[in-house]
Amino acid sequence: MAELKLLFEHAGNPAYQTIEGYIAKGGYQALDKALKMERQAIIDQIKASGLRGRGGAGFPTWIKWNGLPKEKTKRHHIVCNADEGEPGTFKDKQLMEETPFLLVEGMTLAGIACQGDAGYIYIRGEFIDAAKAMRKAIDEAYAAGFLGKNIRGSGIDFDLYIHLGAGSYECGEESALMSSIMGERGMPRLKFPHAPLPTIAGLWDEPTLINNVETFCCAPFIVNKGGEWYATMGASTKNSRGTKLFSVSGHVGKPGNYEIEFGTTLMELLEMSGGMTGGKLKACVPGGSSVPIMTAEMCDGAIIGYEEMMQAGSMVGSGGCMFLNDKTCIVQFIWRTAMFYAVESCGKCTPCREGTKWMLQILERIVKGNGQPGDKELLLDITSQIDGRSFCGLGDAAAWPVAGAIKVFPEEFDYYIANGKSIVGSPLPMVPA
Amino acid sequence: MSELIQLGASRPKAPKPEDLKLQFSDTAVAELEALLTHYPDSKSGILPGLWIAQREYGGYLSPEAIAETAFRLGRSYAEVEGVATFYSMYNTAHKVGKHMIEVCTCLTCQVCGAYPVAEYLKKKLGVDFGGTTEDGMFTLHEVECLNACDRAPLIQVGDQYYGPVNEKSLDELLEKLAKQDESTVIQMADSIVQVHLASFEKPGGQPATKPKPAAPAPPAAPTSTRIRVEETS
Repeated sequence: MAELKLLFEHAGNPAYQTIEGYIAKGGYQALDKALKMERQAIIDQIKASGLRGRGGAGFPTWIKWNGLPKEKTKRHHIVCNADEGEPGTFKDKQLMEETPFLLVEGMTLAGIACQGDAGYIYIRGEFIDAAKAMRKAIDEAYAAGFLGKNIRGSGIDFDLYIHLGAGSYECGEESALMSSIMGERGMPRLKFPHAPLPTIAGLWDEPTLINNVETFCCAPFIVNKGGEWYATMGASTKNSRGTKLFSVSGHVGKPGNYEIEFGTTLMELLEMSGGMTGGKLKACVPGGSSVPIMTAEMCDGAIIGYEEMMQAGSMVGSGGCMFLNDKTCIVQFIWRTAMFYAVESCGKCTPCREGTKWMLQILERIVKGNGQPGDKELLLDITSQIDGRSFCGLGDAAAWPVAGAIKVFPEEFDYYIANGKSIVGSPLPMVPA
Repeated sequence: MSELIQLGASRPKAPKPEDLKLQFSDTAVAELEALLTHYPDSKSGILPGLWIAQREYGGYLSPEAIAETAFRLGRSYAEVEGVATFYSMYNTAHKVGKHMIEVCTCLTCQVCGAYPVAEYLKKKLGVDFGGTTEDGMFTLHEVECLNACDRAPLIQVGDQYYGPVNEKSLDELLEKLAKQDESTVIQMADSIVQVHLASFEKPGGQPATKPKPAAPAPPAAPTSTRIRVEETS
């Protein structure tokens, strides 16, 4: 299958970044439609679409939208998670820079459906260009009466604010993100079933809907053209509908974002992005650094879909797809992955705070040529003690790549530990001199 | 890398309340007031407040900068310091140079040659990661994924990304930055403050299409009366 551009149809067109250009291309039709609809009817369309969260977990979006109290007793908040930090992912950045009105309209639709009073877009601090594009779009939407008091004369009020982070991967986790908006250190909170869901007690203990940028950007299309129409895309897969943005990087000819229909194969995605450069395909990390690494054999025939990728031994994740050629040393690559999680662990839960540092220390001694017999087993033991034992998914995400790589590339680890050097003949320079 | 995961370098003491000299400009005070209308309590103003402070105090969040932010928000010094030291983009560990060169060495950049880029910069500037050149012009930092992996190897200076970089493009960039009067560190903090504020909220900005919200309570008095429920995990 080829690219299927829905969200990205007008990406790169400067006119689409102005409110006039956006309306000319069919923008805000969904909002006008939604203002005439029952709130529940909007949520039903999201349900019919089969849309699942695009941030990485793939949770059905309509359940969140439907989870906010229908009888409103407190303020309701709509939060957009634009803290894109997963290594390998850069789709939300392009969405905000090139299709900012899709996000504004999508969040406004959520505001209407869930009786939201205010929306917060939490953008990571480094994404200043994206934040500027969002600021311009929000200002134009206010001026044209699409935000603020009495939207389009409907009597509905909805304010949209931008809140920037300040450098923390952990803040991409929803409870940590909300802590960060509330002016705290970005640490996760206890989760359901030990604590209420954000849709009941989120920001300031008030009902909060929180979705990824890409998820909100899908909403205008679903409301405008209907959930059933949206669900026709990706119908060949078990339970994945619509399109998905993949950020392809690494050793490929044309790195960039590609929008594909679920059901496309991983090799087709590689072909779209210009094929391999510098050598043959050795490994692929298909969904951001947190997902298990795949060998070339595993990639062959892998179909992109939430369940299908699980079957192939990895995950769709956030769509940060890194292709690596045969000059890449997997041990060194995993060492750097472990370092990322060790640096970014917020320090709240002991298994993650300590475990990520231990994994890094062991991998570092292997990479420096001082690996000891049994290090591989020790690493596996640590991963089993982090996985599932922390408040949020960072611990799991730190454990999976290490455990996954040892499982599919055991010979690389054995060779490195035994010989103090990489199995790859002349590897790329991937460690500090 | 050891610089990034080094545990608690000791921090200077908080200034005594009687020694506190307020340095925020009138614009900064107006910006903070406008920002606080976005949130129900003053605590939520800590992150944007710290961005204002980082700009007003020349790119470094000194204990004085943190104390003033805390005072203006009606929060305690410890609370604001705790937040500031958590986030990597607040410069609390040490004073930084006029420009910060942030080199991404994470995954895609790693496999696309970030370490040779980092080595080149270290040699050229004569500093290690975390170091500042003697003339106070450049600070070199290693950062985690900047999420523009299609442009690997990538660096960030101020509010701009540059990539893919090579030795030649780095030479040109450093030369350009050395001639630049304005500090990109301060410029970045200012950009971040500005994107928080709608055009009708900016001090001296365009007439409002939205009625200007009532000003929040004076900074010295804590505006939050919410009882914070502590997690008892």
